[in-house]
Amino acid sequence: MTIDTNLALLKLQLFYHGIRAGKDLPSPLTNPFGLIHLVLPEKVSVSVHLNANGAESPFTLRRDGAQFHLDINGRESVPVQWTPPLASYQKRTSSGLLVSDILTVHGDFIAVHPSHPCRFGQSGLSCRYCGSSRELSQHPPFTPRDLVEAIEHVMEEKRCDVVTLSSGHVSTGDGGVERLEKWVAEIRKHLNVLISLDLVPPETNDWIDKTYAMGVDALYYDSDFFNPTDDFNREYEKHKSRQLESLAYAAKIFPTGAVLSHLVVGLEPLAETLSSIDLLIDRGVVPVLTYFPPYDGSSLRTRWTATPEQVTHVYAHLYERLVRTRINPHWVQQYDVVLTSLEGRFLSSESPRYHLKLKNFYETRLGRAVRFGLASLRRHLRVREVPA
Amino acid sequence: MQVKIDTRPLPIVILSRWWRFPVFLLLGYTLYYFYGQPPPEGLTVEGFRALIVFLTCLVLWVTHLLPLPVTGLFALVLPVLLGIMPASRAFSFFGSEAVFFIMGVFILATALLKSGLSTRMALYLLKSGSKSPRRLIFQVMLTSALLSFIMSEHAVAAMMFPVLLVIVNRLNVSRQSSSYARILFLAMAWGCVIGGIATMLGGARVPLAIGLLQDAGHGTITFVQWTAAMLPLVLVLFGFCYLLLTRIFAIDIETVSDADAAIDAQIRECGRLLMEEKFLGLLIVGAIAGWIFLGPRLGMASISILAVVFLFMFRVVEWHDLQERMEWGVILMYGGAIAISSILNSTGAGLWFAQTYILPHLSTPWTLILVLSLLTILLTEAMSNAAVVAVLLPIGMSVAKQFGLDPKVVVYAVASASGLAYALPMSTPSVAIAYSSGYLKLKEVAFPAGIMVAVSWVALMLTAKFWWPVLGINVGP
Repeated sequence: MTIDTNLALLKLQLFYHGIRAGKDLPSPLTNPFGLIHLVLPEKVSVSVHLNANGAESPFTLRRDGAQFHLDINGRESVPVQWTPPLASYQKRTSSGLLVSDILTVHGDFIAVHPSHPCRFGQSGLSCRYCGSSRELSQHPPFTPRDLVEAIEHVMEEKRCDVVTLSSGHVSTGDGGVERLEKWVAEIRKHLNVLISLDLVPPETNDWIDKTYAMGVDALYYDSDFFNPTDDFNREYEKHKSRQLESLAYAAKIFPTGAVLSHLVVGLEPLAETLSSIDLLIDRGVVPVLTYFPPYDGSSLRTRWTATPEQVTHVYAHLYERLVRTRINPHWVQQYDVVLTSLEGRFLSSESPRYHLKLKNFYETRLGRAVRFGLASLRRHLRVREVPA
Repeated sequence: MQVKIDTRPLPIVILSRWWRFPVFLLLGYTLYYFYGQPPPEGLTVEGFRALIVFLTCLVLWVTHLLPLPVTGLFALVLPVLLGIMPASRAFSFFGSEAVFFIMGVFILATALLKSGLSTRMALYLLKSGSKSPRRLIFQVMLTSALLSFIMSEHAVAAMMFPVLLVIVNRLNVSRQSSSYARILFLAMAWGCVIGGIATMLGGARVPLAIGLLQDAGHGTITFVQWTAAMLPLVLVLFGFCYLLLTRIFAIDIETVSDADAAIDAQIRECGRLLMEEKFLGLLIVGAIAGWIFLGPRLGMASISILAVVFLFMFRVVEWHDLQERMEWGVILMYGGAIAISSILNSTGAGLWFAQTYILPHLSTPWTLILVLSLLTILLTEAMSNAAVVAVLLPIGMSVAKQFGLDPKVVVYAVASASGLAYALPMSTPSVAIAYSSGYLKLKEVAFPAGIMVAVSWVALMLTAKFWWPVLGINVGP
């Protein structure tokens, strides 16, 4: 590793190019979703796809005894840790379902899409986020009990702090809250984890109150993009106003930093993404920038123009705005399929000292207990039942 | 129920949710401090500690730091913790006859409500009143008062409330500005309050007071004696209340013929009189006759419990009906109140307190009645009436004994005054129920309620001075 290697840029480049596999690598190398999990220096976690077409990627994973290296164009070498695919993915619940058919693990959080498949899955693509695919929809649906067992299997193997449930696209006024209520209740009943939901903004704010009261610790209302250039995505435009209103209200209800919104980098002009970041942060919402360039070989790849080098200033902007506004960025920590807001520190000159100390504390057992305890205590204090 | 998220700054939320803990700590420390102090001159150690129990429960009852029934239970435990008496003795106070009388009366009231007989009675009583606006007010008051003769006033209010809501909705009056709707809800609440003091069945405060009297060894008051002492007062207050309501508030409605249709519709909905209702009606009449004629011999509690046994024998109610509808907590509260009073009495603390702090300031027995009834009528606006009785009666009876006055007089004065609360929602459940209609505002009710409080006290004193001696109840010079 040279001093010129910027870990944030490297992570983005890995997303963009994928990785080639060198010789003598362990098998299986990838998880059931075709991703290799690596930990770069400074505990930067990344899940990178194995570039089957190989030739285009400048990155090669190489093994040197017990040590793994990431060779860059055959000139530089970065020491990395390779994490074997979770054995728990191959375990089954008592009803016979494979854990990998139920959930996906991203660093310290578990992603679940209870109504398989998600929109990517429906379109025939494999979703990098929730692992959903068209094939999965052939499996029998899983129950909350299955999910709890699957999470237990994973947690026996590795530490996971957050379970994120996605409602999928719903057109009901509740935004998917009712659909996920039983799942949240079952997880709350059996497991000590933080729960976040990925929902559609509801028609009225009382659903946001209910979401918090039923035991949800963090909330995503995905913005994806605000000024889409693609006609297919214009349907989002009309929801923009309600979306922002819901996000702003949720930011008053949930703890600071616990209301998040994914913004897709690369689908709209970067200037628009920058203004979207400002728009969200001004409302107390943490943008999560997803950079999912289409894989090499797909027809969409030729239309993709945002290279890693072009998008770095967007991440730097996000990090600097968050530091200045004192919004807690710790809900997205070990998110290995995106460059997190805190990892944007590698692209900025702003000091990350305070946030890094807090991040390191949260990674200890005591920190975890404090984080969980404070989340419960806050809910206990803030939620009140009043006559209808 | 729906959830609401408190978005105030967290320190304020914490303070508003947990302010009780520092108060409890302070209370605990105060308790501990006084526990270690020597008793004042003339008071035994047990008596001193009994006073500590009394004052602790007083603070808890006034502040509502704990639910009233829980304070009642705490009152049974504290004497044991402070070493005043063994647990077997402290808990035995809960076995007072008054507690079981109250329980029996509450069960009968629950059966009346559950069977629908009380609603049917209310509707038939109201029907004759729907001729004119004034007549309807009178009839609402009369119905509430008469029903409060035979069942607890809060049960009457709870039963009358939905009936009145239907009538008011049918009259199509404005929630914001309708003076007539306000009169109707006040007529219900104040009718219950006034009717509630007429017999021992209108609320648990009278049985509680008589229980305290019995436990202190001062004899008892029979059903007939109580009713005879109260009826003139009830008649005067009823008449005055009707005049006040119809004079002070404008009757801003021409006709109440729509109310007639509403009452008719509800009567039709009740259907025909069922066998259970007929039996229950007979049972209530029988129980009242029993309390009048057999009460002195068998005890009031025996008759009410016997009536309950008959209820279940003929399956008029099921046990789960009682579990759902009964205010069991009230019984725990009364049990605790009786225990405190008995402890004050048996340790001599009540007597010592009266001799030291009250007697020197009172010149005659009559001033005792004046002061005690005024204090009761004011306190009961802000405190549970049972708590007022439990707090004032033991001391009042001790002072009365010192004056050579029959303690029963104090029971009449305190128990009746404790029922006469008109203004605040926390004063009595029937007033709280009237407020829940949304037609009443405190600022509009405060003035007439103040007049009612003043007139009630004056009328009570006049009754005590001129009527009670006729019945042989001597209030002294």
